[in-house]
Amino acid sequence: MNGSRRRYYIPAYLFAALVMMLASYSLPRWLPGDFVTAMYSSSHVTLNADQEQDLKAYYTERQGFGRYVVDFFTLHWGYSYAFLTPISELILGALPWTLLLMGGAHLLSMILGFIAGVEAAWRRGGIIEKAGVGTMTLLEGIPEIGTGVILLLFFALHLGWLPASGGETAYAAHSAGSWLLDLSRHLALPLATLFLAYFPGNFLLTRGSMVMVLKQQFLETARAKGLPPARVRYGHAARNALLPMVTRFGLRIAFMVTGALVVETIYSYPGLGTLLFNAIAVRDLPLIQGIVLFSSLIVLFVNLGLEFVYSRIDPRVNHAS
Amino acid sequence: MHRNTRKELSADPWFLTGAAIVLVVVFLIAATPWLSVHDPYDMGFQPLSPSSSEHWLGVNDGGMDIFAELLLGIRNTVAFGLVTGMTALVIGVIIGLVCAWFGGLTDDVLMRLSDILLAIPSVMILILVAALFRPSPVALGLLLAVMAWPTTAKAIRAQALVIRKSLHIQAARQMGASGTYIIGRHMMPELFPLYLIGFAAKARMAMFMEASLSFLGLFDPSRKSLGMMINYALKYYYLDIWWNWLLPPILCLTLLIMMVTFLAVSLEKVFDPRLKML
Repeated sequence: MNGSRRRYYIPAYLFAALVMMLASYSLPRWLPGDFVTAMYSSSHVTLNADQEQDLKAYYTERQGFGRYVVDFFTLHWGYSYAFLTPISELILGALPWTLLLMGGAHLLSMILGFIAGVEAAWRRGGIIEKAGVGTMTLLEGIPEIGTGVILLLFFALHLGWLPASGGETAYAAHSAGSWLLDLSRHLALPLATLFLAYFPGNFLLTRGSMVMVLKQQFLETARAKGLPPARVRYGHAARNALLPMVTRFGLRIAFMVTGALVVETIYSYPGLGTLLFNAIAVRDLPLIQGIVLFSSLIVLFVNLGLEFVYSRIDPRVNHAS
Repeated sequence: MHRNTRKELSADPWFLTGAAIVLVVVFLIAATPWLSVHDPYDMGFQPLSPSSSEHWLGVNDGGMDIFAELLLGIRNTVAFGLVTGMTALVIGVIIGLVCAWFGGLTDDVLMRLSDILLAIPSVMILILVAALFRPSPVALGLLLAVMAWPTTAKAIRAQALVIRKSLHIQAARQMGASGTYIIGRHMMPELFPLYLIGFAAKARMAMFMEASLSFLGLFDPSRKSLGMMINYALKYYYLDIWWNWLLPPILCLTLLIMMVTFLAVSLEKVFDPRLKML
């Protein structure tokens, strides 16, 4: 992939953001008939006349897409009748939990997966490398639902070591230290589940691309110069193996978001996934819409950031400019 | 398929494991009428009764036979994966070949479109559509396929561009072969390994999505699925039912995902020309 090829990515992300906003704006308007009554008749939420009027107004009397966009960026996302709270408050309240969980899992699995992949490629053909590749391929075949429930049954139910649900112990007064401990005890199982889902892919990909890089001639040069092995491995070779991992991140978004939703739901972790699950269960449409649009834009933003990082770390691009 | 790749595949433990699971799954689906004597929708049994010779895996909280539900759930997940994988593959192959053959503006427009589709988090659109319109599973599968073709199209396009420049295609063109003939007779068969890789990858994604979305409750609640069974059983995980109600759908789902993952990994290993140099 050369420099001119990558240029197209920023417009692609902007377009994607526009498509998401348009979808979120127009899809509810395509619903036939008086869908507010229809939807809420089969839901657990009962609306009074005022609320029903409000909701109908929200979907029908909005002045248009421009207004919708302005409202979105000024955090006017509507009102959830299931939780009786403004949607912006619900989403922004859940966001830190999701960021903690997803961010932690990605950071850990990327760093450790990368190091393990580089070291495995370096020791190619050894028994540890073969066992590692085998185990990781096996792990790739286990979905988050499986790992999540099994870890829950074993560590929370059978052994009783870790809490089974929530993000922190409710109503407990804590000192800062024990609060952090409580937080990490709740984080441990969902984080481990996501780590087990993300790590194998990062490991296998880094190993694969590193094996290719190690065959190239500039590494002979680096070795011939008498550089220490660790320097050759990380300073010269691994930098090139980093790039596919960044590309892969963008391609795996669908898997990752879905997996995180499921894991949060299994452990009732108080993030966006559980919020979405609850919203779906009571058919709270404005809330579903808000979460979908907001998290899509976050995903796009993260991806755009990664593309920027990509362009900074790609040694070939640097040399070209 | 060349002779040596077939030999390589049959020597690959991952391929053999995947193929073995395929056989088991095909057997389970084909033998469903003989294996499960109960109707999975029959709610007339004693709720939460344990496993017995009558109900191999017991009865769930709604009075339905769990084993019968499980078999139907496997069938539904596999069907979703096959339909979505097939559709995504067909769209991807057609667009990839069109891009490689015509080039120019067609290529540019379609490739930019696929960049945008790659950037869109498709699962979010799926959730929104499923929550608003409650479409049929087939419609959801097709929608997923419509958003999932770009990776296949890009792989096909790249390889087709290489083949297009090769000598035998040049020779065929010199002898006056038409575009349709060259695409149909030379390019499409030669790209066959890529179809297998693309199909396995898409089917894997589709099965994973189906299980997750049904777990989240986005499918029609009367449709039996492994994800939904896990969701219902999880509410009772502290009871003594976890081994006969919660674990079977999890194991079946894991086996299904393993099946497609191992096949995809092994096909990629055997056919990917880049990795072959190793």
